[in-house]
Amino acid sequence: MLPEILQAHLLDVQKPSRYTGGEIGQIVKQKSQVDVRFAFCFPDIYDVGMSHLGMKILYSLINERENYWCERVFAPWPDMEAVMRQEKILLYALESGDEIRNFDFIGFTLQYEMSYTNILNMLDLAGVPVWQKDRGEQIFPLVVAGGPCACNPEPIADFFDLFILGEGEEVNLELMDLYHTMRRNGASRSEFLKAAAQIRGIYVPSLYEVAYHEDGTVRSITPHDGAPEKITKRVITDMNQSYYPEHVVIPFIETIHDRVSVEVLRGCIRGCRFCQAGFLYRPFREKSAGTVCRQGIALCEHSGYDELSLSSLSTSDHSQIEEILDQLLEYTAKEHINLSLPSLRIDNFSKSVLEKVTTIRKSGLTFAPEAGTQRLRDVINKNVTEEEVMRTCRIAFEGGYTTVKLYFMMGLPTETDEDIAGIADLAQKIVNLFYDMPVRAKGKLQISISTATFVPKPFTPFEFEPQTEKTEILRKQQVLKKAIKSKKIKASMHISDVSQMEAVLARGDRRLCAVLYDAWNSGCRLDSWEEFFDAARWYAAFEKNHLDPAFYANRTRSYEEIMPWNHIDYLVSKKFLIRENQKAHAAQTTPPCREFCAGCGANQCLGRPCF
Amino acid sequence: MKDYRIVFEKKGISRYISHLDLNRCMIRAVRRSGLPAWYTEGFHPHLYLMFPLALSLGVESICEVMDLRLTEELPPEEILEKLNAVLPEGLHALEIHPPQKQAADITAAEYHLLLSAPDVPDLKSLWDAFFSQPEILVQKKTKKGVKEINIKNNIIIHKIDFQPPDLSLILRLPAGNDGNLNIGIVSDAFQNYADKPILVKSVCRTKIFSENYQDFF
Repeated sequence: MLPEILQAHLLDVQKPSRYTGGEIGQIVKQKSQVDVRFAFCFPDIYDVGMSHLGMKILYSLINERENYWCERVFAPWPDMEAVMRQEKILLYALESGDEIRNFDFIGFTLQYEMSYTNILNMLDLAGVPVWQKDRGEQIFPLVVAGGPCACNPEPIADFFDLFILGEGEEVNLELMDLYHTMRRNGASRSEFLKAAAQIRGIYVPSLYEVAYHEDGTVRSITPHDGAPEKITKRVITDMNQSYYPEHVVIPFIETIHDRVSVEVLRGCIRGCRFCQAGFLYRPFREKSAGTVCRQGIALCEHSGYDELSLSSLSTSDHSQIEEILDQLLEYTAKEHINLSLPSLRIDNFSKSVLEKVTTIRKSGLTFAPEAGTQRLRDVINKNVTEEEVMRTCRIAFEGGYTTVKLYFMMGLPTETDEDIAGIADLAQKIVNLFYDMPVRAKGKLQISISTATFVPKPFTPFEFEPQTEKTEILRKQQVLKKAIKSKKIKASMHISDVSQMEAVLARGDRRLCAVLYDAWNSGCRLDSWEEFFDAARWYAAFEKNHLDPAFYANRTRSYEEIMPWNHIDYLVSKKFLIRENQKAHAAQTTPPCREFCAGCGANQCLGRPCF
Repeated sequence: MKDYRIVFEKKGISRYISHLDLNRCMIRAVRRSGLPAWYTEGFHPHLYLMFPLALSLGVESICEVMDLRLTEELPPEEILEKLNAVLPEGLHALEIHPPQKQAADITAAEYHLLLSAPDVPDLKSLWDAFFSQPEILVQKKTKKGVKEINIKNNIIIHKIDFQPPDLSLILRLPAGNDGNLNIGIVSDAFQNYADKPILVKSVCRTKIFSENYQDFF
């Protein structure tokens, strides 16, 4: 039940059904039958969080256990936050309406760095001390987190009891089982944390001491109380056996990705050197065509959605993609369902795949060449050639497409003005291709270019690289602007201080906890929303703590430097990352994993070669 | 092809579902129900659902109407049963009629407004004073800016009942194509008139009318 006082105010806020729960598919249990309660917190608003696939998987997985209850919690929009603070309504879970401060676990998913202030805000709204050290010896609530940004949790280490590294399908339940037993036996928080640190994939930051050199780099990271030297991420080895929900919560409001999705594969064979996901989610594992289709059809039938999306880092790399499309399209066409494939690649985008997709709905084509010249694409190992881009555009134009979106990064390692001008050249060649075609689609051609500032991330070959400073990015943008000649090409070049903050938090150390606290305390929240990001507050927080953002974002790190995440093991070895970094500087490519194993080390969890 | 007029209630937390969201929610419910829904012809076929009269966000109702077209004729009980099996909390299909009148025939709607004010000794007198003003002026936002309009002549008090501290009002307001008055505007105007806080305990649409207060369905 919703807090009564809230009902008096729900009409004062936008989209009240963000805060009511009660959707079809939500899971409500009898409290007397439940032993462990888990508040799954997404540190952004409902509209964003309800689009997130990982949350759907783990929500259903925990709720499969009869005596465990997982509920959803999202960050309120500022209008709702104002109501909550004014009326002293504590952050509650949507299913039960109960305050989450009394839950056993408060679990956050770390999807992007700029959501960190939302975590502090949500803990504060929940009435839970934001600093881990202030939570006392009572075993609950345990504040935990997982998700991709847990690969370097140091900038938020002092706020959490523990982190869950890697894939949560198995380890979440192991952790809850341990908790269930230890709470019954009257264990304290610190006793539980020491025991939890022995589970593979669980990182308890309070069991590690970090020392620094005078220049601010990390000198050592030392475990105590029996915590392991290295904490290794968890991996699900068999995607066909692993849990996948066939029922999901169906929101009332329109969410960012308002559809059901079936995950077709995990990992990526491509090895693009800037892409953190491509390394974090290794090794590459597929679901069989039969599993994908069965799960996709079940999701559609149970939800009533008319859009099904095939989700992965690179769906067209599935070895049975045509079989999957054939089977699914037979069903979706009959049932008036739109099948969407968000992650297709330029190079293997075959005519038959395109034809299959276009039988349903014609929309714009989106490509991400990421860099303007072949040399720079080789540096970042984006194994896409100009011929492939042209070939795909030709197929697309023949198929009736008239809008092409191109995504690029700026500030990549070794980038020169020639590479920037190359972005305009590539777009121009696509324009020329369109007008040189004897038979072309009716409609107006539009090529849009969008550029983003490159952010170096941990566990990528570019973790050693400096981020390009803002003034230099602004200059590069002018270079690009001058190089664009056609009116058919529209460039949207966005710049803000967000990317520097993202770079700082991505590769930061534990000293940033104080900065984050001060930034939040001075009013920072919803930083990934442009209208709320306030750079001045962030810089003031750095100054107050005598830290320099440039030290974290814009400094070249040596191969020998101990990174703040040195004790965390995502299976890809540092040796491999160094090798890839050297190859990048020599503009040498690495072939996709399926063709040739580059020896990253991720296959150690499988105990066999990936292919 | 067969058309069905489904009457449903929208109560409890489902009153926070906006009209646009309700449309999508019902489309998905029909798809889940397994009923043989009719889809529009053309390049982008979509499920045919029609709501003759929108309901404001936050208002409950026991008389919402939705027209559904099926590809075959089915017993009304079966349609009700299949729909109710898949509807979310607060939404419940009550009865089914053959559609006779058109959406354009709707002229008025009736609302039950339950007010309470612990700090006002006689809420009934306050309401009477409010309603005996020569004009009840409210601000109305239009495309050209804010306009002041008099809503007094649009409000018909069908019934009034005072059980201190609760004041129960049955009001009839214009609805449909030729002019609508949102019940929220009436309660806001009263709240603004009073110098003490007045709580809207509940507000519920109870009837939809065609001409001369004939039932719409």
